[in-house]
Amino acid sequence: MDYDIVVPSTADGALQVTMVSWIRKPGDSVEMGQDLAEASTEKITLYITAPVTGTVKNITVDEGEKADVGDVVGTMSDGKEE
Amino acid sequence: MPPDKRKGLWVDLGTMPYKPAFDIQTALYAECIDGDLPTIVIVQENNPVFTIGRTGSRSNILATEKELQELGIEVIDVNRGGDVTFHAPGQIIVSPLIFLGDIDQNANQYFHRLEDVQILVLDRYGIKSGKKEGYPGAWCGAEKIGSVGIAVRHGYTCHGFSLNVNPDLHPFGLINPCGVNQMPVTSMKKMLDREIPGEQVRKTIRDVMGDVFGFEFQTITLADVLGMLKDPSPLALTQKPFVK
Repeated sequence: MDYDIVVPSTADGALQVTMVSWIRKPGDSVEMGQDLAEASTEKITLYITAPVTGTVKNITVDEGEKADVGDVVGTMSDGKEE
Repeated sequence: MPPDKRKGLWVDLGTMPYKPAFDIQTALYAECIDGDLPTIVIVQENNPVFTIGRTGSRSNILATEKELQELGIEVIDVNRGGDVTFHAPGQIIVSPLIFLGDIDQNANQYFHRLEDVQILVLDRYGIKSGKKEGYPGAWCGAEKIGSVGIAVRHGYTCHGFSLNVNPDLHPFGLINPCGVNQMPVTSMKKMLDREIPGEQVRKTIRDVMGDVFGFEFQTITLADVLGMLKDPSPLALTQKPFVK
């Protein structure tokens, strides 16, 4: 089953962030809650963490690109049938 | 009757190099996120260091490697937001490790409340300061007196703010502070034309933090902190690489 990777809602909905770095890449195995990426406003670094234990499937917002809080920036799979 | 304040811990690391202080913060932060520790506010001063935040660039350090070596200024990349800034003795750094859900604020709101803390602290010394649109921090007119930069993971904050009490301001001239070309900076000493004891300012910050965020802080020592960590050995604190 696939799960969205989203910019966390710990910032204002209107806040736009820049994807600073993807700590994990597609194909990497990750446990739920581990860091996947760093996003940053001018002064706030937000860590995007794994929503599930599984594998990073794809990244839809690359490093250097912008995203809004709540946006989907990638997908993870837990490897189970839906 | 005012509502009961939440309990928090307050630890003053004194003055130490940035790296071991950051290691302590990192270790405590991890255990806060694990739910093993309550809110902790870490207060410190650092030996001279330029830190570069996540959106920063070494190109905003204008000094050469040789000049940095001669001046004894370290350069360290850190995980807070923002660009380059300078830390040194006389500048108080406050790093609250807080779960944003406990104070019912999002990261952006919390960030601006830290600016409010600085402004309220300065006001208690008769220093008028304010915010500047597009330029975070606390400002006395065109001069910046306090910086803010935070990181958030699982809703828990780290890093925080720094307030210039009486640091040597000259090294700010060796960087583009926060990425801004030749941004003027000031200090409480410069604004008041007299020394303000750092210990007094620390107490004021603690009072204001308690009021703004609704905490009653209990002071703990560095030894207490070590006792709270599951594994303090990587910090190598037994070597006491710092002075109080």
